[in-house]
Amino acid sequence: MLEIEIDGKKTTVAPGSTVMDAARALGVHIPHFCYHKKLSIAASCRMCLVEVEKAPKPLPACATPVTAGMVVKTHSNAAVTAQKGVMEFLLINHPLDCPICDQGGECHLQDIAVGYGAGESRYREEKRIVPNKDLGPLITTEMTRCIHCSRCVRFTEEVAGYQELGLAHRGEHSEVMPFLGKTVNSEISGNVIDLCPVGALTSKPFRYTVRAWELSRRKSIAPHDGLGSNLIVQVKNHKVMRVLPLENEAINECWLSDRDRFSYEALNSASRATKPQVKKDGQWIETDWQSALELVAGKLKDTVAAHGRDSVAALATPNSTVEELFMLRKLMAGLGVEQVETRLRAADFRLHTAGATWLGQSIAELAQSDAVLVIGSNIRKEQPLLAQRLRQSAKRGMKLSVLNPARYDLLAPLAGELIVRPDQMVEALLTVLKAACEAAGKTAPAHIDLSSIEVCDASRSIAATLTAHSAILLGNLAAHHPRYAELHAAAAALAELSGAKLGVMSEAANTVGAQLIGAETSGNLFASPKKALILLNAEVQFDCHNATEALAAVRAADFVVALNPFADGVKDYADVILPVAPFTETSGTFVNMEGRAQSFNGVVRPLGETRPAWKVLRVLGNVLGFNGFDYESSEAIRDEALAGDIAPRLSNALKAPVAVKAQAASGLVRLGEVPLYQLDALTRRAPALQATADAAEPALRANAATLAGLSLKAGDSACAAQAGGKALLCVREDTTLPDGVIHIAGSHPLTTGLGGLFAPVTVERAG
Amino acid sequence: MPQLLSNEARALIDREVAKYPAEHKRSAVMGALRIAQTEHRWLSEELVAEVADYLQMAPVAVYEVASFYNMYDLKPVGRYKLTVCTNLPCALSGGVTAAEYLKQKLGIGFGETTADGKFTLVEGECMGACGSAPVMLVNNHKMCASMTPDEIDKKLGELE
Amino acid sequence: MEKILRLIKTFLLWELLQGLAVTLRHLFAPAITVQYPEEKTPLSPRFRGLHAQMRYDDGEERCIACKLCEAVCPAMAITIESAEREDGSRRTTRYDIDLNKCIYCGFCEEACPVDAIVQTPIFEYHGEKQSDLYYTKPMLLAIGDRYRDDILRCKAADAKYR
Repeated sequence: MLEIEIDGKKTTVAPGSTVMDAARALGVHIPHFCYHKKLSIAASCRMCLVEVEKAPKPLPACATPVTAGMVVKTHSNAAVTAQKGVMEFLLINHPLDCPICDQGGECHLQDIAVGYGAGESRYREEKRIVPNKDLGPLITTEMTRCIHCSRCVRFTEEVAGYQELGLAHRGEHSEVMPFLGKTVNSEISGNVIDLCPVGALTSKPFRYTVRAWELSRRKSIAPHDGLGSNLIVQVKNHKVMRVLPLENEAINECWLSDRDRFSYEALNSASRATKPQVKKDGQWIETDWQSALELVAGKLKDTVAAHGRDSVAALATPNSTVEELFMLRKLMAGLGVEQVETRLRAADFRLHTAGATWLGQSIAELAQSDAVLVIGSNIRKEQPLLAQRLRQSAKRGMKLSVLNPARYDLLAPLAGELIVRPDQMVEALLTVLKAACEAAGKTAPAHIDLSSIEVCDASRSIAATLTAHSAILLGNLAAHHPRYAELHAAAAALAELSGAKLGVMSEAANTVGAQLIGAETSGNLFASPKKALILLNAEVQFDCHNATEALAAVRAADFVVALNPFADGVKDYADVILPVAPFTETSGTFVNMEGRAQSFNGVVRPLGETRPAWKVLRVLGNVLGFNGFDYESSEAIRDEALAGDIAPRLSNALKAPVAVKAQAASGLVRLGEVPLYQLDALTRRAPALQATADAAEPALRANAATLAGLSLKAGDSACAAQAGGKALLCVREDTTLPDGVIHIAGSHPLTTGLGGLFAPVTVERAG
Repeated sequence: MPQLLSNEARALIDREVAKYPAEHKRSAVMGALRIAQTEHRWLSEELVAEVADYLQMAPVAVYEVASFYNMYDLKPVGRYKLTVCTNLPCALSGGVTAAEYLKQKLGIGFGETTADGKFTLVEGECMGACGSAPVMLVNNHKMCASMTPDEIDKKLGELE
Repeated sequence: MEKILRLIKTFLLWELLQGLAVTLRHLFAPAITVQYPEEKTPLSPRFRGLHAQMRYDDGEERCIACKLCEAVCPAMAITIESAEREDGSRRTTRYDIDLNKCIYCGFCEEACPVDAIVQTPIFEYHGEKQSDLYYTKPMLLAIGDRYRDDILRCKAADAKYR
């Protein structure tokens, strides 16, 4: 440890730390622009110049390593003179357009100029003008304001994994720019808006709407992926104006994925339902809550009475809160109905675990693993911030390997890679298992048949990376897989053998919570026809594994009640629409993938006559005359729903063995990924996200050999057909796919005519 | 995308790459850009992207380097790029006169190319040969010293 | 002694005469009553009356929706909503001043970086209902257009003291 004195305060710091680190630890503020705790050191802004005794000139605090006995003065005359000098230079070319700048009021340059800027500039010459760049639909630029701190450049390179921005040219001609004609397409690109200390990079959807000082900051939790990022939702006049990250080192650090940041636009969308609606003779009629609820209660009661309790079922998305799912389950129980399901995109329900499937450890612990094997996950698109964590770990030496149905670019160094057809993922995992068995000289559990498996070098090298301090993660592509139970069982066996921790990266914000309260009991609800269906937040054409089957089932049902914030998605098949509050308008709880229950409050009042779903379900219980439906608050429901400690109820261990056996592959198979911005009802309706490259229309993608076999070429249009359904799509070549794989994204209006996400598919040329 | 760099150029780049540790392949970027420019005379967008691809770098990172240094040309240049030094020692010994003479003779200003695409005139910085001022550089590689108007005429005559 | 003096004054109605002297003096002094509304008192060019929104000479509105006036207004009388106009510039979509709330302090004018919101010397305006005193952007712009010359004259007269 080194002893150092800063502004007369003595402290000891670890060797290798910088003066800035020491000052931050002491609570001494040194003005800075380019320094950021999560980024490498550039020392390009020079704002943090400090006086160091025995040094002839002021030194940048962010880039000066501490030496023993160093005496630093951050506010001495010499230091302040140097800082003021830097400030004068920074302001030379900075435009005086604060009144129209969106950063105004929350601008580092503005703040620091108050302390260190002169009242008047001595610069009389012409200021430089820098042309603006097109960075895509999320980020707007005003490059003349740029002070070349290079935070955004370092972010894209170091955190997002691919340098999409660069500092081109030299000296006064320096400009931050993407490569000629490119935009910034990272799934976590929005963070450069927060990083930019000036108004050069600002949010495009937020542009010119509100000033920072008009907004109230309210805490919330992201409702999309299983990470449960902490949010600051900023509101004005009961309208959500933007979303920023709330720093939580254990979960999202100081970052936010674009999905969490920009999906708020959907909350103010015109397709929000604001009044209960009832379909009468094919016409939608707005009604009041009382009559709508009485109608629903009556219909449900009658259906159960007339057709039995198996004729009614409830579907909810795993983005619904714990409280909503608990009340739904309780209401169904009151009716005698047991069929409540949240695993809407799953196809295999054979798996039974000892508890709720979860990450197997905390996110922070996962990042410290020696090796991670990711099975069936386009992790950058499924869990953008978790992928970022794993990328940082991989850079530090963690061995990251993948078993995927396509060669997804993780923008991280890979230790091993197995790319196979979706229907051969189990077999590929078995080769790794067999390699691990051979290496350890052990045999696999009896329920796993390894007899026909041939081990290859790739699986051997992956098996070799797995040690006691490593993790095996199952992603969405595994969870949606028709042989998920086998994948999970084989992964569990591999984990058992190698001592690695098995983890499931939950698809949605409350996947773990849904399991904890048992809102996933029945498997495929569409297997038998239903007379009445309750859909909570679910739009079956987008949220189900097999869109065709799901649509047929809801159309065949006599009575469908949809509890949804949006009317347009369910209008086709619902009979009653009850407008319920999205996450910003209700209190609730999400349990994230590491089993952390995070409660949040509503940040704005519900739009129109919208009501929180838990209240709607509660009143529905009252109307039906059930007992125990008199909760006063969501907290009361939560306390009952999640009573006791959560940790003991989390487990990825198999309750009963699942027979795993290799199967042969033949024909063409679909790879039906759920696109990043089609995950849930909110992201599907966020205009800015829908304009990004990631939201491009799904195409029929295959590699060159597969296309040649079908005598198709890129640019053709082709008709894909699956059991009972069809879709006409544009053909694209995709070199990341293995032979025989047809990539057709699911959960998209263009592909709702198709069947299972990983089912066989036939393709023929259209027209 | 058609391959722009010839196999000979790629072999030369490989030699540059071999000078650095395998994990620091990007260190060869300046040499690679030089080789690419020698072959194609200027660095087009596609060429920069190809160099980036070859060195497994982000294109914008290569563009940062290419745009930082004077001698990389990001716009088309004539067959002969003449760089005249106008820094102080050269200027005192007739550098400015040489530049003016060239401007007049070729009928172009700094940064311009003659209509027949033969010459591009560029204002240069010190090339470290102040003793033989004024100094002119042909195509970045050939240095010509003591460029009096007569010498310039002679040199231009040699360039075909 | 004093008692005697007071007695004399009482009998001579001294205080009454003193009062009548004042009356008499004012009877012959020039009148100061202003026959409003036919006659008006002079106003300082600094007078802070009705608000107006100004335009540039080319007719472009000055306001850039920086919302500083809204922020500085102690009575919270100003409501602004802004958006990007089609040409990409930052403009208000709503600019309302509730004159019921306004205390005519002039802070909005002081805060304005582009001299868009000004206070005119106009003080003779009324509303029959409370809502009549809720001035919207078109109304404020119309005032600015109509009294442009007067406003500019006042501002020019006051400029040297600012």
